[in-house]
Amino acid sequence: MQFRLEKRQEPSQLMVYATPVAAVLLTMIVGAIIFSLIGYDGIGAVREIFLTPLTNSYKWQDLGIKAAPLIIIGVGLSIAYRANVWNIGAEGQYVMGGLAGTWVALATYGMTGPWILPLMILAGVVGGALYAAIPAFFKVRLNVNEILTSLMLTYASVQLIYYLIRAPWKDPMGMGFPQTRLFSEAARLPTVIPGTIVHLGVPIAILVAFVAWFIMSRSVFGYQMKVVGAAPHAARYGGFSESKTIWLAMLVSGGLAGLAGILEVAGPFQRMVPGFPTNYGFTAIIVAFLGRLNPLGVIFAGVVMAITFVGGEVAQTTIGLPNAATGIFQAMVLFFLLAGDILVRYRLRRVSSIPASGAA
Amino acid sequence: MDITIAIFITLVGAATPILIAALGELVVEKAGVLNLGVEGMMLVGAIAGFAAQFYTGNPYLALLAGAFAGAATSMIFGFLTLSLSANQTATGLALTIFGTGFSALAGAPFSARPIELMRPLFPAELATHPMWRVLFGYSAPVYFSFFMVFAIWYFLKKTRAGLILRAVGENDLSAHSIGYSVKGVRYAAVMFGGAMAGIAGACFPLLLTPQWAERMTAGRGWIAVALVVFASWKPFRLLAGAYLFGLVMTMELYAKAGGGPLSIIPSELWAALPYLATIVVLVLISLRRDASTNAPACLGKPFLPSN
Repeated sequence: MQFRLEKRQEPSQLMVYATPVAAVLLTMIVGAIIFSLIGYDGIGAVREIFLTPLTNSYKWQDLGIKAAPLIIIGVGLSIAYRANVWNIGAEGQYVMGGLAGTWVALATYGMTGPWILPLMILAGVVGGALYAAIPAFFKVRLNVNEILTSLMLTYASVQLIYYLIRAPWKDPMGMGFPQTRLFSEAARLPTVIPGTIVHLGVPIAILVAFVAWFIMSRSVFGYQMKVVGAAPHAARYGGFSESKTIWLAMLVSGGLAGLAGILEVAGPFQRMVPGFPTNYGFTAIIVAFLGRLNPLGVIFAGVVMAITFVGGEVAQTTIGLPNAATGIFQAMVLFFLLAGDILVRYRLRRVSSIPASGAA
Repeated sequence: MDITIAIFITLVGAATPILIAALGELVVEKAGVLNLGVEGMMLVGAIAGFAAQFYTGNPYLALLAGAFAGAATSMIFGFLTLSLSANQTATGLALTIFGTGFSALAGAPFSARPIELMRPLFPAELATHPMWRVLFGYSAPVYFSFFMVFAIWYFLKKTRAGLILRAVGENDLSAHSIGYSVKGVRYAAVMFGGAMAGIAGACFPLLLTPQWAERMTAGRGWIAVALVVFASWKPFRLLAGAYLFGLVMTMELYAKAGGGPLSIIPSELWAALPYLATIVVLVLISLRRDASTNAPACLGKPFLPSN
């Protein structure tokens, strides 16, 4: 008995939504097996990483604040990837957003007023967008691969943090620690549920996803992004400019990464520290794909990835699983998702032993 | 005099892993496949090489372990992109995320347990004079990298197998219709690229810092990918490019060590320089008129013969 792949007339809508769920389930099963084989408590690892964050209500706040940046960045990346613009440097744009906002917070240190926080957020968005403008410029003008430039800028941005908090922005009272001073009250992100750590970033993330979904599905902008990504030739006939699309895709995804950066620095961190780059920008790549490049799907995917982050920390303390295991589970989700993609475009057909002729 | 030689030897050490990884990626791309997982495969190779050196103390076994680990990791990419026609860009990224996590997990027990650096290939008597050290003072991977530059150039230009590989990368449908196995050639190329990335990764603990550190390849895999573009897919230009980057990284090391005029510039800027230089180089290369004409025509596109 043999199986053959047969191209579907239309991509299967069922498979589009079923494969992300299947990818997560398969990751749990295969992950349990692999981690058992290499000498860890595999079932325990899967339980702690995927289930404990959901069943333990104390962890829900953590889920919210970890999902927020992933969703915000993931929404931006899903728009860019739709347009076939491969912004891989969201981590760097996140850092630059955080730095730009920190600059405002330090410049207004000691001041009060409701304008400070909006100004920081604006600076964050602009910072992220400007950093993404560099690969956009080189891509549009000189056709330089945006994957490599945006990624290289990420490595450079991390060095910029180290420099700023070591020298010009260093907390004078920080006892030598390389970090900025704690932001003043007006520069900190308020919590939305009293008595929790759930900050304003969480509702902002959900708002961003819904607005993006509305724009992508209802506006000319959204249509342009999708057409240029899916059928560049047709887009050219239709009068959609490819350069304009690249610019928009980069600026939007960079701006959103910058937004996530400033929300993170004004929320959980409240100062700039060397540990600020937390890989959200890279994990958001998985989030964008797992969410099927659909802003509403990204909410689901962001929560799933947040679960693995929170669960990874749980597993570290309860069963002594190294933190790096989280990255392996996250990569496995993406592997299974990409493997499952073939079922969107093809169906499995059983064939008789006589090979079908004229297939080529 | 002595400082010049010392700088040169540091330069060779910095350039070698990038060169080896980039040579592997060059062959992969010549076959029409874009594997962005070089960084991940290097990290897996690095921890495999480290562990092998830790347990056996035999650096050649360590290099071999790195090659096997890199090749095995590349087969995840090969299966997804070649057998299941998954998106190559996304799969390459996933491979890097996986390699980063895997190496960190596997490396955790080895932290703060140093290994022995690989010794020079030639007996020390040959390298007593400083001038001779420049020629004979290196360990085997350095000579291997030079040999591979020539070997890959020869393979691609002068052999029938190399011609088939290029044909698969330039026009997969034609190669298929003549009867060559596009998938087979690409699998072989991807595996070769993985083995080279694995060896390159193993060079980090064996040649540079004899301790395990998470993400110890620090983006060098990505620089290797960029170098292939810079070199217009030509092995000898890759050699020049890798040494150019080696020079930038060597300046960083000397600046950090407090070396005179170099230390006026903040050390963080030196650390960022290889990445910024990569961007500059990519921009400069794109200014040339024939910039992308040398790219394999099928690069990054899935092979779908039934359409």
